[in-house]
Amino acid sequence: MRFQIDSDSFPLGKGPMVMLILFVITSVFIFSATEEKDESIEFWIFANTHYEEYQARVPIFEALHPGVNVKLINYGGSMHDKLLTALLSDFGAPDIVEVEITSIGRFLKGAIDEIGFVDLKPRLESEGWMEKLVVSRFTPWSYGGKIYGLPHDLHPVVLLYRDDLFKAAGVDMTEIETWDDFIIAGKKATRDLDGDGENDQYAIVLDRRTESDYFNLLLQRGAGFFDGEGNVVIDSDIAIDTLTFFTSLFNEHKIATPVYGTWHGDPSNFAAMQDGRILSILAPDWYVGILKSQVPQMSGKWKAVAMPSWELGGRRTTTRGGTMVGITKQCQNPDLAWEFLKFAYFDKAGLINRYETTRIIPPLKAAWDDPIYSEPDPYLGGQPLGRLFIDLAPDLPPRYQNPYWSEAADLLNDAIFNAVTEKQTPRHALTELADKVRSIIAKDQERWGNN
Amino acid sequence: MQNTSIRHRFWNQQQKIAPYLFIAPFFLLFIVFMGYPLISSLIMSFYEMRGFQSKIFVGLDNFTDLLRDPVFWKSLWNTTYFALGTLVLQLPIALFLAILLNSKFVKGKNFLRLAFFAPVLVAGVFVAIIFNLIFDQRAGLINNEFLLFGKEIGWLSEGRYVMPAVILTGVWQWAGFNMIYFLAGLQGIRQELYEAAAVDGANWWQCFIHITLPSLKPVIAFVFVVSMIGSFQLFDLPFILTNGGEPADAGTTIVMYLYKNGFQFMRLGYAATIGWVLFIIIAVISIAQLRLLGIFKEE
Repeated sequence: MRFQIDSDSFPLGKGPMVMLILFVITSVFIFSATEEKDESIEFWIFANTHYEEYQARVPIFEALHPGVNVKLINYGGSMHDKLLTALLSDFGAPDIVEVEITSIGRFLKGAIDEIGFVDLKPRLESEGWMEKLVVSRFTPWSYGGKIYGLPHDLHPVVLLYRDDLFKAAGVDMTEIETWDDFIIAGKKATRDLDGDGENDQYAIVLDRRTESDYFNLLLQRGAGFFDGEGNVVIDSDIAIDTLTFFTSLFNEHKIATPVYGTWHGDPSNFAAMQDGRILSILAPDWYVGILKSQVPQMSGKWKAVAMPSWELGGRRTTTRGGTMVGITKQCQNPDLAWEFLKFAYFDKAGLINRYETTRIIPPLKAAWDDPIYSEPDPYLGGQPLGRLFIDLAPDLPPRYQNPYWSEAADLLNDAIFNAVTEKQTPRHALTELADKVRSIIAKDQERWGNN
Repeated sequence: MQNTSIRHRFWNQQQKIAPYLFIAPFFLLFIVFMGYPLISSLIMSFYEMRGFQSKIFVGLDNFTDLLRDPVFWKSLWNTTYFALGTLVLQLPIALFLAILLNSKFVKGKNFLRLAFFAPVLVAGVFVAIIFNLIFDQRAGLINNEFLLFGKEIGWLSEGRYVMPAVILTGVWQWAGFNMIYFLAGLQGIRQELYEAAAVDGANWWQCFIHITLPSLKPVIAFVFVVSMIGSFQLFDLPFILTNGGEPADAGTTIVMYLYKNGFQFMRLGYAATIGWVLFIIIAVISIAQLRLLGIFKEE
């Protein structure tokens, strides 16, 4: 019997035949595509700048390790949700992943042996890396005595200020040492530009909607939301005093303006800067990188100085933001992954390249001697910005990580806003907040016990 | 002989099975991708998770916690506020635009129809980013160009203006979409009715009340119900516009709170509970609306 296929004799006609052919073709593609390369590392990233950096660096690593294939995937902001799903379903997570500092907390929930990341402490200690890095930078990535990630950065904070406009107000910002000095200077520089009776040029811009700037000040004083043992300490005297000070910059001294738009990197905030309405800002290293790329026309107008301290001789910096890289427990080849981690984070040539594009200072102390960090920065009128950050780096405060950070930060945002808008006193806002977070933790402990 | 009877029986069987086989793909997909997650989320709402593996039965705890959770009530109020805004602002505007485009006196209808409809084709995220600039306190279009209110309004920085800003953005995005439904409804009304009314001496308003609205009832009911469901599921617009609900949860909607609990706080049981409570709320409102509009009545 002759087997024949043509569109007329096919059962049910032409349409189903076309669908069947398409089905067969796509099936072949789908099943052939899932084949895995022998020695490959999958690496998930959430930041575009990091992705670009690694794109340039991966071929070098692959050349050093023949047969190894590193697959970079940039998921952008939704990466953390994807990672969470992959870890929850115990399937599909990458070998290596970068996690952002405010997102890592939720991954540390649950019993210690259920956490989805490999503890890197044994490797760090046996290879002597702990001493080579700024040790306080491990705190955001540590919990329960284990270390789940390598620090990508230091993110020290400086005070970026408009030299021209402060000078015009008769203030030399290099003479400012404490926050009290800053308030006096700020009052001179804050003014009404258009004569409508309301100030529109402010000495400093601060975010009152989120924890960012308040937390800058809190960390500067060596305090925080949680302490190193995981206790809630946001109702401590220091925390209340710091929030009282923070609100006074808006309400009593009237030298601070709320951030324009939703955060410091909002286009309208940059617009306000260009209009000369903002005279200073607490800026971590990465923020300088953003300023350069978003408002290049302001080159030469900004200068940087160490943050004012709380008392003479006190700490003159804080830390804001951060990224880690870790190995997930689904990784098949942790030794190879570890080699890549060290290449990506501790290789001097790579770190210099990183500074050139993003202004990010590495936590690896040995890298700091490179002349690039002392190069004058034209954006800051020739100031060697890298050197300023590096000088402050050894004094960086710890930022203790906690599984409840997401809940805590969400409620802290509200508390700060309520205090600045005078709906609650700072003490009331923070004690209420501390009670709420303690009761959330207590409830979990009641259910699951203490570990 | 035997051979044909087997073949006959097979043919009979096949006749019976075939319809089930034809509808099987849908049901298999439904069970895998809808039925199973639905059931497991219902089960999940009676559990709480911690970390990635530990699960514990908590009975009705999640539900009682939810009733005592001030942020949930706030988000419920915000969402209801938005739904009411949709009802009293967006839908009347949509109807007005539809009537305008249906009248004989407007020129360039095709262009206007496309122009009003176009915003719905833009992803909510982009709309939110653009409106962030429009609502900006200092440099924004609304405060800067119109100065409608005599002073700079902190649309997105002061709690009480946040939801109105979200509602106005919603009007821009969806009024044109609903307009299309109304327009289709208007074009389905028989012209003779208006002619007969004109003969009887009815004015424009009488025609609108006694002909247009009653004839549009099925369309109105449909648009109302679909808009309410959409309003209660609001997520991406306020999420981007208010940077996650700030300040002080003034822009947090129910689905945003669900997302926060599920993905940021890792409280999957609690998030599942919020999802089911939201389902109940939407079901009750939809049924009530359909009843009020008399859709269940047999005519």
